[in-house]
Amino acid sequence: MDWGLIADIFPLLMEATRLTLQLFAGGLVVATIVGLLIALMRQSRFFAMRWLAAVYIWFFRAMPTLVIIFLAFFVVARDWLTFLSPLQAAILGLGAGAGAYKAEIIRSGILSVAPGQWEAAEALGMTPTRRMRRIILPQAVRVMIPPYLSNTVLVLQTTSLATAIGLVELTGLSRQLSNSTFKPIEVMLTAAVIYLVMSSVIVLAQMYLERRLVLKV
Amino acid sequence: MDLEFIVEEFPGIWEGVPVTIGLFAWSLFYGTLGGLLLALLRLSRLRGLRAVSAGITWVGRGIPPLIILFIAFFVFPEIGITLERFPTGVLGLALWAAVYQGEVIRAGIMGVDPGQWEASEALGMSGRHYMRRIIIPQGLRIMIPPYFGNAMTLLKLTSIASIVTITEITLLAQRVISFKFVSLEPLLTIAFIYLALNTVLQFAQLGFERAFRLRV
Amino acid sequence: MSLVKVEGLHKSFEDNHVLRGVGFTVEKGEVLAIIGPSGSGKTTMLRCLNLLERPDQGRIEVEGKVLCEPGPDGKSRFAPRNDIRRAREEMGMVFQRFNLFPHMTALQNIIEAPISVKGVGKDSARSRARELLEAVGLAHKEDAYPMQLSGGQQQRIAIARALAMEPKLMLFDEVTSAVDPELAGEILLVMKRLAKAGMTMLVVTHEMGFAADVADRVIFIDHGVIQEEGPAREVLSKPQQPRTQAFLKAVLERAPMADDEASAAALTTSDELVEGLLIGHDVRHDEKEGD
Repeated sequence: MDWGLIADIFPLLMEATRLTLQLFAGGLVVATIVGLLIALMRQSRFFAMRWLAAVYIWFFRAMPTLVIIFLAFFVVARDWLTFLSPLQAAILGLGAGAGAYKAEIIRSGILSVAPGQWEAAEALGMTPTRRMRRIILPQAVRVMIPPYLSNTVLVLQTTSLATAIGLVELTGLSRQLSNSTFKPIEVMLTAAVIYLVMSSVIVLAQMYLERRLVLKV
Repeated sequence: MDLEFIVEEFPGIWEGVPVTIGLFAWSLFYGTLGGLLLALLRLSRLRGLRAVSAGITWVGRGIPPLIILFIAFFVFPEIGITLERFPTGVLGLALWAAVYQGEVIRAGIMGVDPGQWEASEALGMSGRHYMRRIIIPQGLRIMIPPYFGNAMTLLKLTSIASIVTITEITLLAQRVISFKFVSLEPLLTIAFIYLALNTVLQFAQLGFERAFRLRV
Repeated sequence: MSLVKVEGLHKSFEDNHVLRGVGFTVEKGEVLAIIGPSGSGKTTMLRCLNLLERPDQGRIEVEGKVLCEPGPDGKSRFAPRNDIRRAREEMGMVFQRFNLFPHMTALQNIIEAPISVKGVGKDSARSRARELLEAVGLAHKEDAYPMQLSGGQQQRIAIARALAMEPKLMLFDEVTSAVDPELAGEILLVMKRLAKAGMTMLVVTHEMGFAADVADRVIFIDHGVIQEEGPAREVLSKPQQPRTQAFLKAVLERAPMADDEASAAALTTSDELVEGLLIGHDVRHDEKEGD
């Protein structure tokens, strides 16, 4: 094991990790916003809204994330919204795809709130918005957190697919360095460790939140 | 959107379908075997074996599947495992599948009512016997939805094989994009193919669920 | 020689010291009823006998074979796994939640263990199973799945399943508690017949009527300790220990709703408070001023 090499490449990999984190953060934000929107559309009174949301979820869950990123990069960013940079296109693709899963998670959380809560809030004269904001969502959030964070780990992992459109994030750089240094073991090991640290942080957050929220009941 | 284009390109892309299906089927097969091994190790009486399995699972779930694939392609030859491109792709995807299906198998077994274990023990049945006759049949029922969920993810994951230039449908679509300067048509074509294959899996899941349901 | 000999059992779950040194013997052909409040340790004690629970300390002997004894450091040492498994062939257990195998018919449930464990041939296992189904009154249900049967029927099949192994000893863990009261009777009848046939039975139960009628001896456990032990009729009608008396009194009678003046006064005060809230002033405050 060439520890000297690891020491040399580590800063390079960390630099690439910055891009990974940008993709991750951007994708997560887009996914959460999209997810919330689609989840609420799914609950709408209007059939058209519900149908559109259902189609969105169906389509984006059946597509490979790589294909979604290609659609974002080669179609959306090239032909439609040409002002988007490759990074933005990747974030859009990641987020749109993950958004379908977030939508399902949010929807499950909302549905898990006992029907009596909706009725009680309505009987007390609350508007739908206030009811959602003050009564339903706080309870739904408690249920949503484990699957939401599980899915978030997957979002982190999908950032690696940005390699395919030329973005040199952690995975892309690992491949390049593996080839240029002829020491793939050291390079891949280091990259794997960096990913493990990042995903473990999310998992630990999940375990901590699960414990805290369970006790509150 | 140019429908003519789609008709022209379809045969070319269609050639990649056997590769996509092959990647999926082989990696699911070996992955399931690997997952079974991981699950059994995880339930072992020996703490060392449990730890090894837990460790492999933790790593496998914490790193991107593309890194696992790169490890199969770039690291394994260094430690003596050199295969051709397609088998290496299968290997990488199978490693991913083993980790995730292993968790499904473990959860399935642990999901069986503890009373079943107790009744079997109280009747004097040996562990090997009642695992086979009592626990696993009931565990299979629990496992089916998440197993197929992972299988569908695995189908979509075959697309990352394009990054290591295995000629499955996503790579062929990329080639059309590069050489024919169209993007939407080839991507929609493979989107359609993935949807179709996914639907086949969904029907397969229904079939298995029906076959394994508790008879009334 | 007693069929079962238990001495000095201790068992804790985390901080909860459930069994605090229990011991008893059971003779062949005896029916021993074990009664006590929830959490007293009676189920744990029963489950220690076939080592579904492993005691922290103590000695357990069944049919002269030592299943568990104190090791050099005081903690329990257990017989090897295979010996335990073989001992379990001689002990039948019936569970509160039946634990029938849901993917097998009644008949298949009963023949599974004799075929696989005792090596009985399929045909003789089947005919023996049919005899047992007849004895528990369910001959016509041999092809039914547990899901299609009532609780009482399922439990009777569970008894038949345990009996199919031809055990020397039967352990019953609150077998009527999870069953609708109307259906408990059919289960208890089967158990009564079994007792008459001479089976050695240990029955953890809440059914005092059954204990008085069928049991030879009764053990009363509370807080992990055997408080009282003796012939069934005596313990149940003339308990000596105060705890036993309190328990039996609570179980056998149900105190009527309090209908005295104190309760009535309390209710009135509540009504006034509520009225006060509706009108918008504090009734208690007014009362004080009035006094």
